[in-house]
Amino acid sequence: MRKFKPTVLTIITALLFSLLAGCSSSTKTPTTAQATGGAHTEKAEKIASLSIHLTNDLLALGITPVGSVIGGKAKDFLAHVADRLHNTKKLGVAADPDMEALLALKPDMILVDEEFAGQDLDKYNKIAPTHMFSLDEGTWRDHLRALGQMLNREQQAESFIQEYEAQAERVKSLIKEKTGATTAMAIRVSAKELRVQGMKRPLGPLLFEDLELQPANGVEKIQKAYEVISQEVLADYDPDLIFVIVNVEEDAKKVFEQLQVNPLWLGLRAVKENHVYVINEQPWLDYSALGSKMALDEAEKLFAK
Amino acid sequence: MEILSARRRKAFAVGGLMLAVAICTMVLSLNTGTIWLSPITIVQTLFGFGDADAAMVLFDYRLPRILVCALAGIGLAVSGSILQGISRNSLADPGILGLHAGASCGLIVFITFFRSLEDPLALFIPLFTFAGGTIAALLIFLLAYNRQTGLQPVRMILVGIAVTAGFSAISLFFSLRLDEDTYSFTSRWLVGSVWGRDWENVYALFPWVTIFTCYSLWRARILDAFSLGDERAIGIGVALQRERLWLLLSAVALSSASVAMVGGVGFIGLVAPHLAKRLVGSTAKYQIPVAALIGLIILAAADMIGRTLFLPNSIPAGVIVAAVGAPYFLFLLVKAKS
Repeated sequence: MRKFKPTVLTIITALLFSLLAGCSSSTKTPTTAQATGGAHTEKAEKIASLSIHLTNDLLALGITPVGSVIGGKAKDFLAHVADRLHNTKKLGVAADPDMEALLALKPDMILVDEEFAGQDLDKYNKIAPTHMFSLDEGTWRDHLRALGQMLNREQQAESFIQEYEAQAERVKSLIKEKTGATTAMAIRVSAKELRVQGMKRPLGPLLFEDLELQPANGVEKIQKAYEVISQEVLADYDPDLIFVIVNVEEDAKKVFEQLQVNPLWLGLRAVKENHVYVINEQPWLDYSALGSKMALDEAEKLFAK
Repeated sequence: MEILSARRRKAFAVGGLMLAVAICTMVLSLNTGTIWLSPITIVQTLFGFGDADAAMVLFDYRLPRILVCALAGIGLAVSGSILQGISRNSLADPGILGLHAGASCGLIVFITFFRSLEDPLALFIPLFTFAGGTIAALLIFLLAYNRQTGLQPVRMILVGIAVTAGFSAISLFFSLRLDEDTYSFTSRWLVGSVWGRDWENVYALFPWVTIFTCYSLWRARILDAFSLGDERAIGIGVALQRERLWLLLSAVALSSASVAMVGGVGFIGLVAPHLAKRLVGSTAKYQIPVAALIGLIILAAADMIGRTLFLPNSIPAGVIVAAVGAPYFLFLLVKAKS
């Protein structure tokens, strides 16, 4: 019996390495066939989008994709664009797209988001030419322009952006007139936690660049999508204007109701002056051309005289 | 002799039947998916006469996933058989003993502290789950070991329950701090979602499952000796503690490698050996192969149902297994009482 010991130990060690080696080979070549757009123009008829945000960029250009992934939380197309995607095939969630459904569509072009699809680029390229976007690089305007160039819709892209900038100017002055606010912050209430939205997408660029609101004291340090905070520190931010996103779940609504009678909350300047605006998860958190535009549409109504 | 050969005949008959069912399940599973392929197309494609799209669907998407399920099903079932053998407790299972909890904790620790390294998940999840599983097994062994009486089966189960609770608490603590997207991946993994679906995962899992299954078959007589009780087993010349430690390590290796690829699928390690025992008796030599085939059938079928029944949203295979396995577990408990 004694001599088995080293043998079994050796086998276990060898296997551990084989497991590692086997796995590592799976990801050895993160192919960088990244399309930054512009280099070539294609006339693609059937486009499949593996990012809900790129889908909405396409819609902004007047193109309906033949297939698109669905929102991971909603388990469906995002509510604010669902009526435009009646004829679009659902391809599962971005983190785990339905490859067979994608193949069955026989698309001419596939659009993917680097965050989710970066490692599987080879698989997509086998189905159709695939263009990868990094949504963290540049703004949605860059993504929209790149798409416009790729799909011969440069004109639509430019006019969409121009209209957007004009609308942003209008909303900016509406906010000024109605509230006189200069500093702002956005918080998101879920059953689990309270978040302050930071400077990065989805909400930062819209509030602090497009609408030129000043980030409330401390928000400028959050150089990411959001940070989780405790209710006690809300007072440290003390902005003129607060946007509140309450998650759709019932529990989140209860948490917000409790927050609203909390003395901490009632002591905030924005609350006292009645400058709290409740906004919806969608379109506000949909960082895309169409999502941003629809957020401005809602803002125009919120701050109307 | 008469009785023995009758048992042998029965074992081979049942084994053959299970093999047929397993093959049917896998073929049926190859047949299901978003794209409809006729059985004829599948056979043509398997032998290299299909069109490119059908080949892509079969060889790139479906076959590796089915093989991962099959291997993991075998791994979990054999792991359960070994654990039930060495602990002499028919309720032992890698999930109940805390090996899955240890492996899950390994995953959560990885996600919490090392996710930002942007390394490929495939490389690190198996490493961390194996580490977690091994730590859990070592804890169980150390806490359940007594110098006079050795590793006591009942103690092992009790310690396992405590270890599970401890690891689950740590996992819960860390998972509450994850952001939404990471949490949803993790929670799907925890309940058993087959994420390993490429050929690399098949290659990575294959040697583990084959080698340790063979090891357990080679030690089948020792497993049988365990059922006699510790003293008698020592009496017939079994180096009890050492054998038990190696078999325990094999069970850890089998379950951790499987869990790394398919997530925390419970109950297979419990149900498969049980059904096998009812079908062919408790002789390990016959029980383990039949349990392995049952495990394969259960997991392959559960994954097939999970990814097709509720399209476009797939549900994790582990949920399906639990939905069937939990009532069976209760049935066993009630039956044992009466």
